[in-house]
Amino acid sequence: MSEVAQLQLISLGIVGFGVLILLFIKATFLRVTGFVAIVLGLFSLMSLAVPQMASLPPAEEKVDITSIKTPTDIAAIGQSVFFSKGQCALCHSIGPSESARCPDLKGIGAKLSQDFLYESLTDPQAFVYQDYRHGGVPKEYPATMPAIDKDPIGLSKNEILAVIAFLQQMSGEPISVKVSDLEIPSQTQPAPVKAAGSALVADAHTP
Amino acid sequence: MGALGKPIILMVAMYVFLKFVLPYIPGSAPLPSSLIFLYLILTASGIVIYETLSGESKDAFWGPIQRFLTGENIGGLQALRYGVLILFPLLVGWQTYGSTATSDLPPTESRTIHPAPPGEYTGLVNPVPKTPENIMQGKGFYAAFCSPCHGGNFDGKGPAARGFIPAPANFADPTTIAMLQESYLFWRIKKGGVGLPIEGAPWKSAMPRWELELPDEWIWKIIMGEYDGAHQSPRTWE
Amino acid sequence: MSAIQQERETIQPSLRADRSHGGWLASLLLAAAWLALPSIGVAAEGTGAGPTEYRDIPYIGSRNLVWIVAQLHLLLAGFVLGVPIFAWLCEVIAWRGGEKRYDKLAKEFTKLLTSAYATTALFGGILLFLLVAFYPKLMNYLTDVFFPSFLLYCLLFLLETATLYLYWYGWDAMQHGRKKTLHVFLGFLLNFFALFIMIVPNAWATFQSSPVVISEGTAFERAWAATWNPTWWPINIHRLIANVVLGGYICGAYAGVRYLSVKSQEDREHYDWMGYVGNFIGVFGLLALPFAGYWLMREIYQYNQQMGITLMGGFLSWLFIIQAMLIGVLFLGSNYYFWLGITYRIPGSEAKYRKAMLWMLISLLFCLAVWMTPHSLVASIEEAQKMGGAHHPLLGVLGVMSAKMTVSNLMILITFMSFVMYWRAGKQDTAGWAKLGKAVMGAILVLASIAVIVLGVWGYFVPAIVRINYFSTSQVLIVIFVILTITPLTALLLKSAKTTTEMVWGSMPPRAGYSLVLNAVMVILLMTLMGYARSSSRVHWHVYGVMRDTSPYAYSPALGSASLIMAFCTFFFCILVAFIFWVATMGDKYKAAGGTGKGELPHGIPAMAGGAPDENQKG
Repeated sequence: MSEVAQLQLISLGIVGFGVLILLFIKATFLRVTGFVAIVLGLFSLMSLAVPQMASLPPAEEKVDITSIKTPTDIAAIGQSVFFSKGQCALCHSIGPSESARCPDLKGIGAKLSQDFLYESLTDPQAFVYQDYRHGGVPKEYPATMPAIDKDPIGLSKNEILAVIAFLQQMSGEPISVKVSDLEIPSQTQPAPVKAAGSALVADAHTP
Repeated sequence: MGALGKPIILMVAMYVFLKFVLPYIPGSAPLPSSLIFLYLILTASGIVIYETLSGESKDAFWGPIQRFLTGENIGGLQALRYGVLILFPLLVGWQTYGSTATSDLPPTESRTIHPAPPGEYTGLVNPVPKTPENIMQGKGFYAAFCSPCHGGNFDGKGPAARGFIPAPANFADPTTIAMLQESYLFWRIKKGGVGLPIEGAPWKSAMPRWELELPDEWIWKIIMGEYDGAHQSPRTWE
Repeated sequence: MSAIQQERETIQPSLRADRSHGGWLASLLLAAAWLALPSIGVAAEGTGAGPTEYRDIPYIGSRNLVWIVAQLHLLLAGFVLGVPIFAWLCEVIAWRGGEKRYDKLAKEFTKLLTSAYATTALFGGILLFLLVAFYPKLMNYLTDVFFPSFLLYCLLFLLETATLYLYWYGWDAMQHGRKKTLHVFLGFLLNFFALFIMIVPNAWATFQSSPVVISEGTAFERAWAATWNPTWWPINIHRLIANVVLGGYICGAYAGVRYLSVKSQEDREHYDWMGYVGNFIGVFGLLALPFAGYWLMREIYQYNQQMGITLMGGFLSWLFIIQAMLIGVLFLGSNYYFWLGITYRIPGSEAKYRKAMLWMLISLLFCLAVWMTPHSLVASIEEAQKMGGAHHPLLGVLGVMSAKMTVSNLMILITFMSFVMYWRAGKQDTAGWAKLGKAVMGAILVLASIAVIVLGVWGYFVPAIVRINYFSTSQVLIVIFVILTITPLTALLLKSAKTTTEMVWGSMPPRAGYSLVLNAVMVILLMTLMGYARSSSRVHWHVYGVMRDTSPYAYSPALGSASLIMAFCTFFFCILVAFIFWVATMGDKYKAAGGTGKGELPHGIPAMAGGAPDENQKG
């Protein structure tokens, strides 16, 4: 018997129990209990009658650093970091958006150099950069850029480089991040910490 | 039996309407039994509510039922009472058997039409400028790649559409692409049926994985062409 | 894993040993202690290096246990926060209007608060221990983020407790003059602190589904940023209204159960009236709830499209059909109770209103049918083939938001009209402008319904954003406008009206009591259902997008198996509330029986204890 059928039987039993109470017992409180049992049993039966779908967690992606061959591979990892672990897309949009809480990142890879991007991600307040083209008072954004290499997001150096590669690729720029820039974890270190989302194996925070 | 007659007639009329009238209205189709059941339950609860609104109507409604089930000296109805009392459990048993017995029928559909897209697609914005040329180009790509199934009229009735279950999406229907953002379409076109997450059950979409054949820019243009041709506009948040 | 087995082996013999002594109560206690202190012996997941991330218990599983305890805590908290609002409103009505019975009602419910408050805190404590034990990694992270607000929460708890005691124990002492004003102010303070006690943990919960994390700044700044996350206020408002609804309907259910069991006419009148008040407050909160829910959903969609789709179109989409059914039953039950009130409490009015009630019922059922029609239907392959897909070509259009918004607005209008009808029943207008006034009200109602329907149909032909930002909000505004114009107009009209038929309290049939119980069960079920929805919408994340759930319980169960846990939580909560009521009213029973012992009077037995006489004799 399938699990659904078993649960249906249990629910039917609850309904039947309630019906029996209503039929044979006179005490008010017990009758109300029986009534509640019928209602709850019917609710479960109804929930069991609709399509049953469980949500399974997707398999965790593990990236092997030795499998990265081209800068495009780095950018692909950067894309998934941008939208998942790095949480960039929570505030930043790519292309104009009213609901975005932070500056639009479209074309950012063409405007800024790799080093400047790296610094902006790890030390956002190092330079106050005013975008004079907007004119008037600089736009106020509701959120402050966090240092992305620190907790709670805490991206590793490799992940930040990958995000930069993605930003450059998205802006139609040649990717300046090279495979040789990536840090290869030394073999003596313990197994990498299980990081949230897809992660590069080399984690700068691994003790 | 007077007060009982009306409800019974009403239930039967409702069933006849749902089963034999509604499907033949132009543009309609037979209703699945789950829906008919739902509407009948609603009708029945409406009847019970209405008939029990006051003491008199409740007695008029419930009295005959009670007399039939428990009353004495009901004459010829006695046999009918035993018939009902025997038939009812049998009916429940038959229903239970029918719903649990193995059968050669395929299981009921439980497909999620619009599963949640992976995070990396949710933030995307169409990078191609919305110019008449690009839209025209998109429609051209659409004609070449999509129209065989989704139809030249964007109605999901292309020459190759027959035989697919579920049928290709009808973009002219305001409940399909008009409910979705462009980034969603981009994901579905790019990754196709095999790219659907578990809840979307990959084998239930014959959509090809177009990323293997079309560059991203073409896909974005197709999306623009699709919305324009189907006279819909994408969901936006601004 | 092996450690868990070891644990099992040590626990089970001890259980068996107890059973052999015949002390099943002792073994139950042992089991309870064992459940409550899982951190002592139950093994941790993973034996490798690094701190423990998860712990588990056998059989029930850590997730299910936390689920049940958290849900019970939340329901109790909703009750404990809803009742003071309810009680305070009644007290203010009595204070301003001079009707003593409202004051009595308020006091009757405040009496519950002390024991209900303690039970809530107890479950909160259990929940905290379980969370710390089962999810150390997550709790560590949340503590890092929210440390300052934990302290604030403790402080608020002290204040709330002190105010509650003053409010309750000072009730009789502060009954007159300026002291009464002070007491009403205390009631306000109680609700004020209660509001903060609700919204502070709301921040923790909403942070998990819509996190805002910053790494710089002081602990306070980080906690503040995390607190002010996009779904925080929508949840606060939604829960605040829902708590009032819960408080109202539970009051109604209590009155319903008492009404069914009391014998004397005086008691019947009192509990009939109490049921009416509870249902009334519940319904009025209910009218506002869909708007708050819609706002919350909109914020979720805007925060993260992925989560929005998971809820509305993805694996949770069927949940909203179930939700529609429960809300439908709630609307039907509330209206049914109003209608029963008209026919039973106001003799002779049945003939006058039967037709109107029939049409309201039909419209309500029609709206429900639209609301419950799913977009993609449950259909066998054959049926789907005949329909040309999982969407019905004709009825499929009823499955989208535009239709649902329209009918929910219409249902609110109908329910509101039920109430107005009840209000006016048995009274005859004497004002000169009565005819004009009624014509205006009728016109407003008809025009508003037409406008809501037109906007709903039009909504199919405009871009989604226009529909969401302008059409849906216009519909809501129209409904609010109707409520805000017709209520004062009716009040004005009835001021000069003469009563032709007095209301007869205590004449309702038993099914009225059961419908009150049904409404309360529906509200509780809805809360448990939405608890599941909020938790499952995070899918495999503890903190959405930030901290992944790597435990074996990262999956979300299907609706069917989840529904049994929801049903269990609902049932257990009902029992807890019944127990609280029973305990709180025990003293009254004794007093009512003149202190001569309760065995003498049949209705001196607490109704909530099932009115089973043998139980008292046993004790």
